[in-house]
Amino acid sequence: MNAATPPPRVIIEEPGKPAQRLDFGWEAAVAAPLPADRGWSTLSLLGIGLAVLLLGFSVLEAGNFVAAQFAQAAWLGWVTLAVAVAGFGLVFAAIGREVRSYLALATVDRARAAHARGDAAAVKAALVDWQARLPEGRARAEGLAEMPIDAARALVEATTLAPIAREAEALGRNAAIQAFAMTAISPSPALDVLAFSWRGIRLVRQVAALHGFRPGIAGTITLLRRVALDAATVAATDVAVEAVLRGALSSRFAEQIAGETAAGAVAARRMILLARAADEACRVLPRG
Amino acid sequence: MDPFALIRGVVGTTEDAARALVGRERLRLAVTGLSRAGKTVFLTSLIANLLAAGRGARTLPALDEAVGGRIRRVRIIPAGTETIPRFDPEAHLGALAADPPHWPERTEDFSTLSIAIDVERRTSLGGLLPERRVTLDLLDYPGEWLLDLPMLRQDYAAWSAATLTRLRQGIRAEAARDFLAFIDALPGDAAAEDALAKRGFTLYRDALRDCRDNHGLRFLQPGRFLNPGPRGEAPLLWFFPLPPTAQGGLAALCARRYAAYLEDQRTAFLDPFFTRFHRQVVLVDVLGALHAGQEAFEDTAEALAAVAAVVSGGNWLERMLGAAPTRVAFAATKADHVPTRARDALAALLEHLALGARGRAEASGAATSFHALAAIRCTEDAVAMLEGQAFAAVRGVLLNEGRGATIYPGEVPMKPPEPAFWQTGFFRMPEFRPPRLDPAGSVGVPHLGMDALLARLLGDAL
Repeated sequence: MNAATPPPRVIIEEPGKPAQRLDFGWEAAVAAPLPADRGWSTLSLLGIGLAVLLLGFSVLEAGNFVAAQFAQAAWLGWVTLAVAVAGFGLVFAAIGREVRSYLALATVDRARAAHARGDAAAVKAALVDWQARLPEGRARAEGLAEMPIDAARALVEATTLAPIAREAEALGRNAAIQAFAMTAISPSPALDVLAFSWRGIRLVRQVAALHGFRPGIAGTITLLRRVALDAATVAATDVAVEAVLRGALSSRFAEQIAGETAAGAVAARRMILLARAADEACRVLPRG
Repeated sequence: MDPFALIRGVVGTTEDAARALVGRERLRLAVTGLSRAGKTVFLTSLIANLLAAGRGARTLPALDEAVGGRIRRVRIIPAGTETIPRFDPEAHLGALAADPPHWPERTEDFSTLSIAIDVERRTSLGGLLPERRVTLDLLDYPGEWLLDLPMLRQDYAAWSAATLTRLRQGIRAEAARDFLAFIDALPGDAAAEDALAKRGFTLYRDALRDCRDNHGLRFLQPGRFLNPGPRGEAPLLWFFPLPPTAQGGLAALCARRYAAYLEDQRTAFLDPFFTRFHRQVVLVDVLGALHAGQEAFEDTAEALAAVAAVVSGGNWLERMLGAAPTRVAFAATKADHVPTRARDALAALLEHLALGARGRAEASGAATSFHALAAIRCTEDAVAMLEGQAFAAVRGVLLNEGRGATIYPGEVPMKPPEPAFWQTGFFRMPEFRPPRLDPAGSVGVPHLGMDALLARLLGDAL
């Protein structure tokens, strides 16, 4: 070494005192940024506000009406109260069901988020929670809590998610046949669209039911939004298939032969893709 | 290039083109490093940090920036029907995170692993098109075996002459005293006696071990003498270098075994793993070489150049067939053993040390870069008071004692040092405990410079 600089040296700290392992706060430093909480959208606020107004004033109005009926005659008041309780009970039960179905879909997000950040305990908890919601008769993976997360994931995939995916494909094929038939016999393109949309929504709900979700109106809307997002990847495949199809049918003769059935075939294929996208949107774990 | 290699090259190039066309590229990353350069830890850190990055953690910011944040998922490709053992990053990470922790043992066999990196396409419609999947093939192997590669271009006589010339010089001569006395005493026409062959092998092997363990030397051949691998010290290894005056049966036996050894290494090691790869990282323990003294330092440079002549070099045909690497990154490992301000000097010193290797890589058209790297960061910056003066140092926890220690690693020159620098004797850097780690590696592991190295090495391919 140069004269100016001392040779390498090891200076041991206080003897007999074990040191803690270094901690660079790595977990916090590299943690994935949390998605910005965008809060309620204007449209949601507007919708909720209108619903509160409508329901709130209806309840108040009904209360006043029941009180007025009691003023006229006791029996009349009781009958009115029974009608109001039954009516509003059904309305609130429907709202409760909507909220539950909406929140059930959130378990998928929780499980996926936990999986993304590698939180094994949270993934297992979400899987147990999700399995409890599955319909009767569906095969479930047992003993997830004791397994390493990779094994738990593989077991859930093989025991539950793969059969669900196969059944979703089958539902998609059935819907495809129906869509093909509807397109063939429908008298106008407008009716085509209507029939296709109705069958599409039904298909999405059927696939969601396979995953243990029974979406109401709000749940279905949320589900359709998710399917639309997941369909982006599926759509890309669709574009490629379409391009090949167009290439294959580019000769005039082939075009004539293909004729009208091509439109029906495209509609049918879209049903199969929709089933796949719905399955993707409802999966509790991302595809491996 | 022999005709079979040419056919393999053409097939490989066609496969690469087809894979690129459908967005399923396969990148073979050759991790080359002399023994104890830190290949196993490098691979463990690379895999853990890439997997964490695939889950959205910001473990590799420079790589993320280089690819424009398009990495979507990273996963280990499930095992197929491979006959080669599988590299086990979980086990290595578990041992590093355990209490007390363990650094990986000396690698004694091959192991491989492939990682799939799903990336969004670069085009403006990237979000709509299917993702590209880049498969990264990784290989871990005993670093000692790397030095068998230059032997493939030498016959027994040439290898013996070069090896004995080196062995009679400097600290090697002292370590090999018994072996040199043995071969000097052998008659030129010694018969092909196995007892003699085995005695010579044992003495030569012990000399190599002494050079490696006590003198920090790296240019030690053949590699399997130091690290025989799972098959142990088979009779194939019972040979040693002999002077040109030896012409008897023993010399012929050694020459036969030398040729058989090379053929075995070529079949098991070079042909499957080192004939075709796309990227290369060369790991060098520059600080270890610097602390081991002038001879070890120069020996490391010579070993690097010799390996690079075989691995990084490619003729015009190999380049055209894509068999030569297009990017080569040289990394000075264990950069956390020097304070932050000395790390640039470490990379600059590596640039001088690897001058020969760099020349070979650049001559074959590869882009080269130099980095200071700590695959797992084990220290923090500190100040050491020496002779009343403050010096930049590092602080870590000693592996065996479990006690904190401040280490002043000495001056790190930016170029090969002057003779006066070497007056201080051999310094052995203590081993440090890894920092607190998550055994599951869900957030990767703390590192220094891994992201910059990967950005340079893989950024264009993702």
